[in-house]
This record gives sequence, C-alpha cells and structure tokens, in this order.
Amino acid sequence: MNKIVTYEPDNSIKKGYISLWKEIIWELKHNKWLTLQLFKRDFSSIYKQSLMGVFWAFIVPLISVGTFIILNRSGIFEFGEIEVPYPIYAILGMAFWQVFSTGLITTSISLVKAGSMLVKINFSKKSLVIASAAQSLIPFIVQMILVGVLFVVYQVSPSIKILFFPFFMIPIIFLTLGLGFILSLSNSVVRDISSALSVFMTFFMFLTPVLYAKPKIGALAPLTKFNPIYYLISIPRELILKGTISEWKGYLLSVGFSFIVFGVGLVLFHLTETRITERI
Amino acid sequence: MKNNSTIQQFNNSTSSEIAIKVENVSKKYCKSLRGSMLYGMKDIARNSLGLSSNSHILRKDEFWAVDDVSFEVKKGETLGIIGANGAGKTTILKMLNGIFWPDKGKITIKGRVGALIAVGAGFHPMLTGRENIYLNGAILGMSRKEVNKKFGAIVEFADIGDFLDTPVKFYSSGMFVRLGFSIAVHCELDILLVDEVLAVGDLSFQNKSLRRLAELREKANAVVFVSHNLEHVRNLCDRVMVLDKAKIVFSGDTNEALSEYHERTREKKLIVIKNRKAFHSALHQSSGDIIFGDTGISDESGNRTEKIRLGETLTTFFEFETTKKLEELFFTIGIRDERNYNCIVHISDYADKIKFRNISKGKYRLIVKFITPNLVPGLYFPVIAIRNGVTNETYERIFDLKPFIIEGNILPRGIVYTESEWKLCPISERD
Repeated sequence: MNKIVTYEPDNSIKKGYISLWKEIIWELKHNKWLTLQLFKRDFSSIYKQSLMGVFWAFIVPLISVGTFIILNRSGIFEFGEIEVPYPIYAILGMAFWQVFSTGLITTSISLVKAGSMLVKINFSKKSLVIASAAQSLIPFIVQMILVGVLFVVYQVSPSIKILFFPFFMIPIIFLTLGLGFILSLSNSVVRDISSALSVFMTFFMFLTPVLYAKPKIGALAPLTKFNPIYYLISIPRELILKGTISEWKGYLLSVGFSFIVFGVGLVLFHLTETRITERI
Repeated sequence: MKNNSTIQQFNNSTSSEIAIKVENVSKKYCKSLRGSMLYGMKDIARNSLGLSSNSHILRKDEFWAVDDVSFEVKKGETLGIIGANGAGKTTILKMLNGIFWPDKGKITIKGRVGALIAVGAGFHPMLTGRENIYLNGAILGMSRKEVNKKFGAIVEFADIGDFLDTPVKFYSSGMFVRLGFSIAVHCELDILLVDEVLAVGDLSFQNKSLRRLAELREKANAVVFVSHNLEHVRNLCDRVMVLDKAKIVFSGDTNEALSEYHERTREKKLIVIKNRKAFHSALHQSSGDIIFGDTGISDESGNRTEKIRLGETLTTFFEFETTKKLEELFFTIGIRDERNYNCIVHISDYADKIKFRNISKGKYRLIVKFITPNLVPGLYFPVIAIRNGVTNETYERIFDLKPFIIEGNILPRGIVYTESEWKLCPISERD
C-alpha cells in the first residue's frame, strides 16, 4: 500500500496538536541518518581546510580566561568566591556556555545558509537545525579534554559524580535547540536576527556568572537569580567540581523552562517551516 | 523525505488508479522583498497561534504564480508541462514535491516522490565524491542501507573514475553534474518529477541518462516532466499541459498541445513586436525621395490580416509616396523569418521580368502575391528595397515592416514544408 500524502494550505493546523507531535516524532526518527550526514558535512566544512582544526577550541577559552586572569591580577576585576583553581572553574564554565552560545549562533543561520538547497529539495529542515546545534558539541568535547589536563596540572580531583554530568547537559542542549528552531525561522525572514545575536551573546556572557562566581550583592544578583542559563551552567559545574547541587529549585525551574522552550520551538518550526522556504 | 502528511487509505477503487491529483491549486508570490518579509512574519505569527494564514486572499504586491490549476496523473502515465518562462511550471513541480504548500486547493499524491530537479544541489565542495554520495543520498531521502546497496551503481553510472575520493570542488563541471544526476536517478521512487535536467553531460552521458529515465518511467507509477526541449516532450509524454500566465490553457494530446504552445508563442512575439515603439535606425534607410506609408498582408478575399495558414497564398502590400519623379527603379521584396534568414527574395526586374521603371510623383500601392509559399509556421517579416536599375542608388530600404504569422499544425522546423513520401526497403545482395 502506497502512502498517501496531501498538501493543503495550513496543512498542519487542521490536524490538531496530537497528530502534530506524532508527525514530528516520526520525522525526527526517520531522519536520524540524514541528521548525522548533515552533521558530518558541517564538521568537514569547518575543519577540513584548516591547519589547526579542532585546536581552535582550545585557543578561544584560553585567551578569554587568560584575559580575565590578567584583569584580576591587575586588580581591575574580582572573580568572587571560588573554591577551586580559577582556570578550571572558568574553562568548565566556558565549555558549557559555548554549547549554548555557539549552538545558538550556528543554528540561527542554518536555514539561510542552506538557502538554495531548501527550495530545490524537500528534506527535513529540522535535521538541518539539529545538525548545526550539534556542531557546538565538538569544541565542548575538546574543552572538556582541556579541563581534564587542568585537573592533572592543578592536582585537583573531580567528584565521582562527574559521571552524571552528561545527563545534566540535556537541558542546556534542549534550550539551545528550542531557541535555535525559533531563531533560525526568524532569521530566514528577517536577517537582522543573526547579526543581533552575535552582539547580544557576548553581552549576555558577561551578565551570566560564567567567568566569575555568583554575585551576592549589586545589580547582577537579582538578575542572576532569574537567569536560567546560570543554573544550567553552574549546576553541572558544581556537580563536577564538588559533587553537590546547591540550588535545586532554580535548576529544576530552569530545566522546566528549557523543555517548554524546546517544545514550543519545535511546534512553531513544524507549523511554519514550509512558509519559510518561500521567504528564503 | 519530509512528510507533513495525512496517512490514510483511499476507499474507492476508481481513485486507486490515480497517482497525482491536483484540485484547484493556486500559489501566490510576493513581488517586493520587504512585503515578503512582513507577510512572512504575519503568516508565521498566525500559524504559530494556530490560526489560518488566510492564504487565499491576495495582499498588496502579491500575485498568483499558479492560478486555479487542476489535473490528474494516472498510474503509468507521463505528463508533460510546457509554457513560457514564468508560466508556473517549476512552481507546480515544487508543490508536487512538497517544497511549497499550495495557498489554495489540494494536492494528493500516492507514493514516494523523487525529483530530478536540481542535480548536485546539496553537494558540499569540501567533501569527496564518496562522502557526497552519502550526504546527497541522505538529503534525497535514501536510507543508509539503500545508499550502500546502490553505491557501486551510482559510481559506475557517474563514470568519475579515480576521482571518487577527491573533493568535488576539484571536479570538472561535467563530472559534478554527472555525479549529481547519478545519485538522483538511483533513488527508489513511485512518482518521478523531472525538470529540465536532461541536457547534462556529453552525448554519450545524455543517451545514458535518457535510457535510465526510460527505465525509471517503466518502474515509476507516474512521471511529471517539465522541459523546454519540445523534442523530449513530444517523445516522452503521453499527455501535455500548456501553461500560460499561471493558468492551464490546454491539456490533452501531445501533438495538439505542442501546436497550441507554438501558436501562443508566435502570437506573443507578434504582440511584443507590434508594441515596440523605437526601431533600430539600421533597419530603415531612406534617401528621402520616398515616404513609406501603410504596409501589411491581406487574405485571399483582400481583407487586411496578420495571419495566414500554411499553404495559402501570401499577399503583401506596400503603400508609399514619391516626392519627385523617379526613373529606372526596381523593387526587391523578401520574406524574412525570426532568425533573419531571407526565406523568399524576389527582384522585380529579374526573375519576375516586370518593369515598373519610371513613375511620376504621387501615391502608390504595390501588391505582391506569393503563390503558396509553404513556409513552415512561424513569425515572418516582409522586407523591401527600392533601387535605381541604372545607377543602383538606393531610394529606400526597410527591414522592419509589420510582421505576420503563418499558422499550421506542423512543427516549426526547417524553412519550407513539403508533402513527402517515405519508403524504407532493404537492399538485397542479388539486386
């Protein structure tokens, strides 16, 4: 029996939300291999014609962390109370942060970059977005190796609970994907989004306690309290360094937030992706 | 392949023979980028909230690129779509492929759709041929197993030799498209969409592609074929649809469709030329002794017309006024086709042995009949020169007189149409 496909205006809306999710899940499952292929493609295009390849992933955090150390030594910048050697704390934070920031920046341009291909071939655009978000996992892995080296250098041993940290990575990945779906859509209609995003990301990093401890007083203190990214970064970091989780409530709320953003982003994307093809 | 699909089963038996059903489908585009951006945001916002985007209403700067089109393709049938650029052919294919959704109407497709639309789209220049086969295969909807199974066949068909493990950016353009085509034609499919891709590679690759296409047509449930190569359309299609300005203007027998298409093309060209205001000065040279007036052709009963049918007598007339007495003059009159080839040339004092020679100041009408010219259907232009037979001075030479059309149902190829008799007999050794 051949499958019957129908195309109509507002195709998905007419079907209701339950069959919408069925469709989405079927599509994601069905296109796992495509997603992997697209991931490989993006990977090659970044690293193949590059001398240093993935070693760039070492250099970027080393430079930022080095800068902060210089600022600190010169008395310009206070890290706050950090119990472990600062480079470990900071690079670990950077590694988590860049999963979010690099992921978001690459996903936001993923549809536009695929441009002409989208209007010529019908394939899963979700795979395209997921594959570009996954790109940020490569520097992440490299940076985790760097952290491992630092553990040896500073003769600090991580908590045994480091084994659980991949599990604690899931929410930040989901948040990145969810926002990535929405931003890639918006950017293909209005190109300002991706330009604004790179500016905003740098700004946002300084506002989030990635390279410094959570501020207890001042303007940033209440802001941090409501910053989900802070929890999504600091909890896995705390787990690795100390083996404890001190801010359960904030973390769980942030996890909930991530999953909601992911769900909303995915549905929005599914409802509007063919509209987007026309506007690219 | 992505499917925003309702999976259901056909209940009645008659529709099971139909592979593609298109019902009153329309698609609109926006002319301005800014408008497109704003409408895009609005539509997305509405769809996100679960509201209809009211796509059936045209907003400012929007137009129908495909307007109320309905057709069916039955199992085993090859449907051709022809039409001028911008008539909506590719948009229809893209809707059948699910890349765009219709703004009005409904498309129902039975089976997996494969498209030979843009071969090599989705190749990554940095990846090798081998890697691109897997990548492109995945994008075209093949599974890992399917690509593995077909890998050898794809490489063999593409004939890229030792370049399999070379990045495709070092491929010649021929190798690039051959590989792209090869991947596309090895997809498993029920319905095949073909858009102008057969002009790929050299003659031997083109022949190989045509053979492969024939195999695919054999296997596929239905084929939709869009091309400007009317020879391909004529040979490959069971039925042809002619599109003009987003609408279907003809649908039916292939040969009838082609002559309908040719006729429309000729009429369009005629209108364009008639509306052209500025003429090239090189096309009209005048000594000032003659002022040209009305020119044209007339039908057999003498009424002015712009069209005659193939095989009919062509009557041309030229009105002019001389500003002084002219001596020893003769006329050269020709009929040119669109390629500026002089199909017919007559010189008044030569083959026709007609002497007008001396005419006094005044107004004249010259009428020249071409008895059964048998020119193939097309757009033609009369040309005229008036010269002095003794000094050979040119009084007047005009190449851009009002064009006319010769109509007919035969293919507009060659210059002259003749009836013919064919015979093919074997030559035996004994004779």
